[in-house]
This record gives sequence, structure tokens and C-alpha cells, in this order.
Amino acid sequence: MNLALTDPALTGTVQAPGVYEGVANVIAAAMLLIEFGMLRQALARDQIRLYAAQSALLSVLAIVIAADRNLPDLYALAALSAGLKVVAVPLVLRRLLGRPGAGSAPDEDEPAGVAGSQTLSPASAVLAGIVLAAYGFFCAGALGIHGPAAPATALAIAAAMVLVAFGLMIVRRDVASQAIGFFSLENAISLAALVVAAGLPLILETAFLFDLLVAVVVFGMLIRAHHTKAESLSTADLTRLRG
Amino acid sequence: MSAALPIPVIQLLQVLTVAVAAPGVTGVIAKVEARLQGRRGPRIAQPYYDLAKLFRKEALAPEGASWFFLAAPLIAVTCYLTIPLLIPVLTSYGLPLGYMGDILGGGFLLSLASFVVATAALETGSPYAQLGSSRAKTFSAIAEPVVLFVVFTVALLTGTDLPYALAATVRSSAGQVIRPAHLLAAAALFMVILHETGRIPVETHTGTNEFGMIEEARAFEHSGPYFALLRWGGQLKQLILFTILADVFLAPWGLASTQRAADIGLAIVALLAKAVAVGCAVAVIDNSFAKLRLFKITEFVSGAFLLAVLGVFTLYLGGG
Repeated sequence: MNLALTDPALTGTVQAPGVYEGVANVIAAAMLLIEFGMLRQALARDQIRLYAAQSALLSVLAIVIAADRNLPDLYALAALSAGLKVVAVPLVLRRLLGRPGAGSAPDEDEPAGVAGSQTLSPASAVLAGIVLAAYGFFCAGALGIHGPAAPATALAIAAAMVLVAFGLMIVRRDVASQAIGFFSLENAISLAALVVAAGLPLILETAFLFDLLVAVVVFGMLIRAHHTKAESLSTADLTRLRG
Repeated sequence: MSAALPIPVIQLLQVLTVAVAAPGVTGVIAKVEARLQGRRGPRIAQPYYDLAKLFRKEALAPEGASWFFLAAPLIAVTCYLTIPLLIPVLTSYGLPLGYMGDILGGGFLLSLASFVVATAALETGSPYAQLGSSRAKTFSAIAEPVVLFVVFTVALLTGTDLPYALAATVRSSAGQVIRPAHLLAAAALFMVILHETGRIPVETHTGTNEFGMIEEARAFEHSGPYFALLRWGGQLKQLILFTILADVFLAPWGLASTQRAADIGLAIVALLAKAVAVGCAVAVIDNSFAKLRLFKITEFVSGAFLLAVLGVFTLYLGGG
């Protein structure tokens, strides 16, 4: 009765892809989980914190790929992206959201309209997110792209993240969450870029990063403009045409 | 060199270890929890004294309750004592009775135990016991898909659904440990264990407020030795779930690979150390989170479901 259970040929084990691929996949999966965290997070402040954590994981992944695949450019990219997305963008966002209601104290930076902006209950939102993620996974699996740098699973996770970020922007009715959803969408695309084209010239990668800055400025303007006009961050006020 | 133990003795030792150590693990968790709250806490052996006291007390059954009311605790404990035969408790090689049932078989036994206790609670006519069993069944129905997806992950990882096979797979290389599917499934299982053992995000373990009770409320009408059996059954269930988490998923190291008495003894110590480590993690969680409102439990379970489903997805693409 004592089967030789350690023999993988006998048990039909799915071969483990190796430690490097495992680490890369785990980091990518953690980023996807953070994306889901944003989906159910009620406070804008915590969403910003999650975004910073997700960006930090992206930098860690860049460092892992740089160390394993011997691509020194990626160290610079990781540092740049950490500085921009872990420090600068969350800071700007926090200041933007802290601004409305000019007289409010810095810790009362919780604008109205973020907490109650879910159109779905958190559990349903997560289930909808799972469906979106499944679609992303199977699309990426069907494409069969194999990058030289990181494993295919990470690419599939990136595709799922893009869709879940879209979902986040759809199910929330406030500009702040939509901005966060957009920025995390950029994180997902950076993840896919790391997987498929880690050896891209540094100058191109940097240019993409600065695109994010443009997006931050544009979203900042939108949030401010919407807040001054509608006195709330909720986009529910935008459904009716006003003369 | 120490003598080799015969296989049936080892098989019996698996059951005995779990049966004897279960109240002790509960005692350690209570102690750690108290220390974290700045209290001195009850002594670690307190659950044993409680059981001994209850076994000496008189047993009463509510009027109109049938024989099933008194049989249920016995059936439940029998189920709990059968499961250690099926999972790797002390040995890394499968014992003869270990192939009697797979992970699903163990799951069926756990559900059967929970079902008979819930039915006995319905027999009593007591509103709180009935409320507790109704809630317990509702929420375990929600948690069931999570368990299924964890089992799917195991099946995809090993090609079987034997707990021994997964433990052997995890031991085989570092790449098997650091892969999203394995880590996600283990995390999902841990959340299910918090749910099943009535720990803090789901239920206050030591509370006396009936309205928040789920599992705890079911034993309200039992008394004396029968109540002791139910308490002991809950402790057994907790240790069994901790053993599955530690010996199958997280740390299947330290199990005996031979029949020598010294190795088996070491495996017993290792098992207890692992169970206490998991218990400490549970105690820390108990102290750092608030109990969820009843209708927020679905959110907690949907989180566990998310982890388990993503584990299967990453595997399904190969690699993961």
C-alpha cells in the first residue's frame, strides 16, 4: 500500500516551474489581490495606500527580474517607478483629496461620496471581479505569448488585473476611486510590459512612466473641477443633463 | 537505535496524539490570547480540568428530545477521531488505513459531525440552539465552495486528492512551496479554518452574547458528559484542521519517515509545535481584529473564495 509518493511520474504531479518563476508569479498574484482589495475598500485613503503597496510590489518584481535575468537597466527603472508611484503619486492624490472643503483639517481628508459609492455590495463586487479575472486569464492563456523574462502565468495575471481595474472604475461612482482604478490599470500594464519586454530600452520605459504623470495631472484637474462644480466626488450627479 | 513500532501501533498513536493533545492546544491558545491582552489567563491545563469536571456531572435531556439528542455527541466525536487515520499526523508515508478516504472523505466526516450536532440542537426546541444550528448550516454552505476549490488546487497540483500526496509534493522542492497556487490555497484554507473553528472575524470564541453566536450556541441544551463530548469534539476539530494546514499545506516537515520509536516521538513533538504555532497566529488575529457583523461574514468568505479560485486559475494555465 506504500506507494512511492515522492516520485512525480507516479503521482502525475504538475511540475513546479522553479523558484524564480515562482517568486515572480507570487508577486504578480499579490498585485492582483491588492487590486481586489481596492475593489472592496471603502475609504479613499486606504485605496491610495493599497495603490502604493501595489506599486512597491511592481518595483520589487522589476528588481527580481533584473537580478535573475541580468538586466541592470531594470534597477534604475525600479528606483524611478518606486519614487514616482510609491511616493509622489499617492502624495499628490492625498493632497488633492484633502483639498476639498478648504477649511477642513488635514486628517479629515475623507471626502464625502467615496464611502457609499459602491454600486454593488462588496461580496458581489468580488464575485464580478472573479468573473472578469477568469476572462482575462483564459484570454491570456489562449494567446499563448511566452516572454523571455517572466513566466506566462504572470502575463495572465496582468491581463486579469487590467480587467479588474476596469471593473473597479465601473462599479465605483466616485472620481477618486476611478482615478485610483486608472492608475492601477497602468500598474497592470507595466507588469505585462515587464513580463513580455523586460529588455525594452530604459528611455522608452521612462517615457511610459511620465505618461502616468500626465494622467495624474489630468485626473487631478478633473477631480478638482468636478468637486467645485458638483460639491461632491460622486459621478452620480453627472447622469442628468443640466442647461 | 530504538525499536521499530508496528504499523497498527503507529496508526493508533495518530488518533491518541490528536485526542490527548486537542484540549491542550486550546489551552495554549487561551493562554497566549490572555497574555496578549495583558491578562494572566487560565492555566494551560484548564480545558482538561473543565472536561474532567463535566464528565462527572449529571446529564439531562430536554423534555421531548429523542435518543438522537444524546447520540449526536457520540457520533460527532467518533467522526473526529476517525479523521486522524486519514491525514498525515505523524508519518510521511501512508498508513494502511490512510487510503480509506481522501481529502473529500475527511471533509465528509467533518460535515457529518457538524450535521448531527446541528440536528441534535434542533431536537431541543431551544430558540438559541436552533438559531445557532441554522446559522452554522447557512454559513458552512457558503464556505463549502472555498473548500472545494482548495481540493481542486490539490488535485491539479498532485493528480490525486490524497493528503499524503500533497505533503510529499510540497516537500519535494522549494519551487513547489513558492508558487501562487500553493500559497493561495493555503491562505484560503486558513481563512476557512478561522471560520470553521469559530475564531474572531467570524465569531467570538469566548463570548456569552447569544445573538452573535454561531457554532457555540448549538451545545446550549447539552449537559454533563454529553456537553463534555461536544466541547472535546470542538477541540478535536480545531487540532485536526490545524494539522491539515500544517502537515499537508504549510510545513509537512518533521514527520517520521521510518517506524522507529524515536522518530515517531520526534514527530509528535513537531506536530504539537506546529499546532501551537498555528494557534499563536490565530490568537494574534483574535486580538487584532473585531468580530464581523453577521451579514458581513459573506464578505470574509468571499475573500477566501477569491484566494481559492485564483489558485485554481493560476494552476490551470500550467506553471502557476
